[in-house]
Amino acid sequence: MMGQHAKFIARTVFVQNNDIEQACRVINRIMGSEGWFDQFRRTRRYEKPYMARRRINFEKCKAIYNEDMNRKIQFVLRANRVDPFPGC
Amino acid sequence: MVASMPKLDEGTQGEKLFDVPYDEQTNQFPDEGTPNRLFDGIRFADLPICDINATPNNTIMTLSNSAGCVKIIHSCGREGFKNTREGTNIAAQATGITLATRGIGIGMKTVRVTVAGLGPGRMAAIKGLTMGGMNVVSITDKTPVPWVAYPRPKKRRKL
Repeated sequence: MMGQHAKFIARTVFVQNNDIEQACRVINRIMGSEGWFDQFRRTRRYEKPYMARRRINFEKCKAIYNEDMNRKIQFVLRANRVDPFPGC
Repeated sequence: MVASMPKLDEGTQGEKLFDVPYDEQTNQFPDEGTPNRLFDGIRFADLPICDINATPNNTIMTLSNSAGCVKIIHSCGREGFKNTREGTNIAAQATGITLATRGIGIGMKTVRVTVAGLGPGRMAAIKGLTMGGMNVVSITDKTPVPWVAYPRPKKRRKL
């Protein structure tokens, strides 16, 4: 019986039409976006508790900022308004 | 930093990757039938394995059968690159080509590849394998990523 994270099941991408560049890109993109590489780099050296605290606080602030900014951008870019020129 | 800023590079440092849309319908990812899928008439689970260990200072590649019995070991140092040149993508590519030609010599033409580490040879080594004539079936990442770093890692370098 194979485990859930067995080798060649987890973190595996098949090469399509001998295009290894594409396969590499897919696996790197998925792992990069899921934070594996960040975590790997972070654990090469000891991260002192004050640094971990600062990083987590910074990430929280960044998430809040990004959420607000996205909302703002979506508001400016919204389409199909009932009244396209409000106030005119 | 923020979303409006340019994105950090993923994977190998310095190698910038761009977004590629991927289709989940094309058997791109393994499923429960994967071990029995045939490649060149061989079951996936019986294919030889090429392990690539891409460290910042060197790239070590081993070729083993499906049971994990190592047949060939090759590295950038053995290839003839010495000192800092071991840790380059060109060295890794040359190593890949040599390993592929030797592997084909002992009848390992179709392989599955596992990569560990984020060195410069991470992608170049796989590229070298295909340039040497090998048929790479799948790419697996087996970088050991600790979420609880124990034992405590070395302290940071002073600049």
